[in-house]
Amino acid sequence: MQAASEIRVNESVDHLFRHHAGQMVSVLCRIFGFDRIDMIEDAVQDALIAALRKWPFTGMPENPTAWLTQAAKNKVIDRLRCEDRSEPADDLDIADPGEATPVFLSSEIAEDQLRMIFACCHPAITPDSQVALTLKIVGGFSVREIASAFLASEDAVAKLLARAKSRLRETVATLVIPVSEEITTRLDAVLKVLYLMFNEGYGASEGNELVRRDLCFEAVRLIEILSAHPATSLPKVHAAAALFLFQASRLPARTDHAGELILLADQDRSTWDRRMIARGVHHFRRSASGGELSSFHLEAEIAAVYTLSKNYQSTDWPRILECYSLLQKASFSPVAELNRIIVIGQISGAELGLRALDSLETSHQISAYNLFHITRGDLLSQLGRNAEAKSSFEKALLLTKNDAVLRFIERRLADVVGLP
Amino acid sequence: MPNYMLLLHEEPADYSQFSAEQIQGVIAEYVGWRRSIEAEGKLVGGEKLKDEGGKHLSGQNGSLRITDGPYTEAKEVIGGYFTISAADYDEAVETAKGCPHLKYGGRIELREVEAVH
Repeated sequence: MQAASEIRVNESVDHLFRHHAGQMVSVLCRIFGFDRIDMIEDAVQDALIAALRKWPFTGMPENPTAWLTQAAKNKVIDRLRCEDRSEPADDLDIADPGEATPVFLSSEIAEDQLRMIFACCHPAITPDSQVALTLKIVGGFSVREIASAFLASEDAVAKLLARAKSRLRETVATLVIPVSEEITTRLDAVLKVLYLMFNEGYGASEGNELVRRDLCFEAVRLIEILSAHPATSLPKVHAAAALFLFQASRLPARTDHAGELILLADQDRSTWDRRMIARGVHHFRRSASGGELSSFHLEAEIAAVYTLSKNYQSTDWPRILECYSLLQKASFSPVAELNRIIVIGQISGAELGLRALDSLETSHQISAYNLFHITRGDLLSQLGRNAEAKSSFEKALLLTKNDAVLRFIERRLADVVGLP
Repeated sequence: MPNYMLLLHEEPADYSQFSAEQIQGVIAEYVGWRRSIEAEGKLVGGEKLKDEGGKHLSGQNGSLRITDGPYTEAKEVIGGYFTISAADYDEAVETAKGCPHLKYGGRIELREVEAVH
């Protein structure tokens, strides 16, 4: 439970309300049934609005989360009464949110959230819907925030969510944490959703920078709920947690004050989030057990090498290359191959990197990706072939929509223009 | 020093589209304003008036008329009030100006409280 003092003046610092909204929906759905989710979401929203209208005058209650919880519960009960007037009122206990004592145990809340995560990542709904629904229900994100993160219209997101919820109402009778054999496949689905959520926030696509950052932190929060629960505290969950935390720790250094991209080589490592790195190391250690070497293990190891190196020059490139090669062996992706080729360039020189790039181009449809041309331009400029590098960067420009990336390529272009 | 009353009129705003994040942000603004005037010793008190219920009483030719209100007809209601202390209207206006209520479409009526003596 958070103290009143933790509600900061700057709302983006801490997400008490958003997290709390997600928790309350999960808890109340367990008590009153998943089929009432729409009503429960409205009731939780009403409770937040009640706080907004009351607390300015009365000041913060001593225990804001307990107040909000009680208020949300009351709103649900109010609505149930309106639904069914014949229900005897004595059966329902309405307490005054004023006398706020913790209403639910934090272990209960974690359990309920985990159940809800599994429901939102249910195979009956599409991966897109799974991510959106998890953000909405468990994360407490609004339709507008989700739309802004995915560059979709609010209308489209609202429809997607409504369809997914109605599909779930048909499929999910009660909220459960899957057991025995089922948990393996269902957990994989959850991890995939959190991975998508994290990458949606981390990738250099378009969209509101702040909201996208929040997506990363939400994926971190949820994976840590999974890693803390005995039923899901498995090595690959810890590996995913380590991956997210190592990557997220570098977020503050990725852009400068003007919002310009800064490459790993040029980042100020002192601005990386030490606490996140420490948590990443903790999870990384715990991931090293069991017989399975998942893609999360390999990606976490790559992220660990990048994050834990003293400086860019001392990066253990061969180790990274080995991880990329194992990843590609398990499941080849032309886009991921670009990452491997960049590392080959680091180890064996630009000439060999360029050769690998050429053979990738002949074997796969890769020339529609801006990263292919950026990589090519970079390797060419290292070899002093500036005219060719220029034409590669120019091709990359045509394939880029994101403003920060555009400006980054333009800077690279300016570096090679004018040189012989 | 005289007291002034800030009557916060509001059109029952539609906050249903506000995200949890935004709601927390608005509350933080109010709490910040409240704390700052409290720290300056200007806050005397404040109370929220309940949204539900409300009655209008009026006497007409010796008979009492009681109606439910104010919601049915009023576009605007008084959501609550603050009492502050200030040297004069100018200072009271300065304090009231910082109230986030004004940022979110609300209206503040500022009145000096008549002293007892």
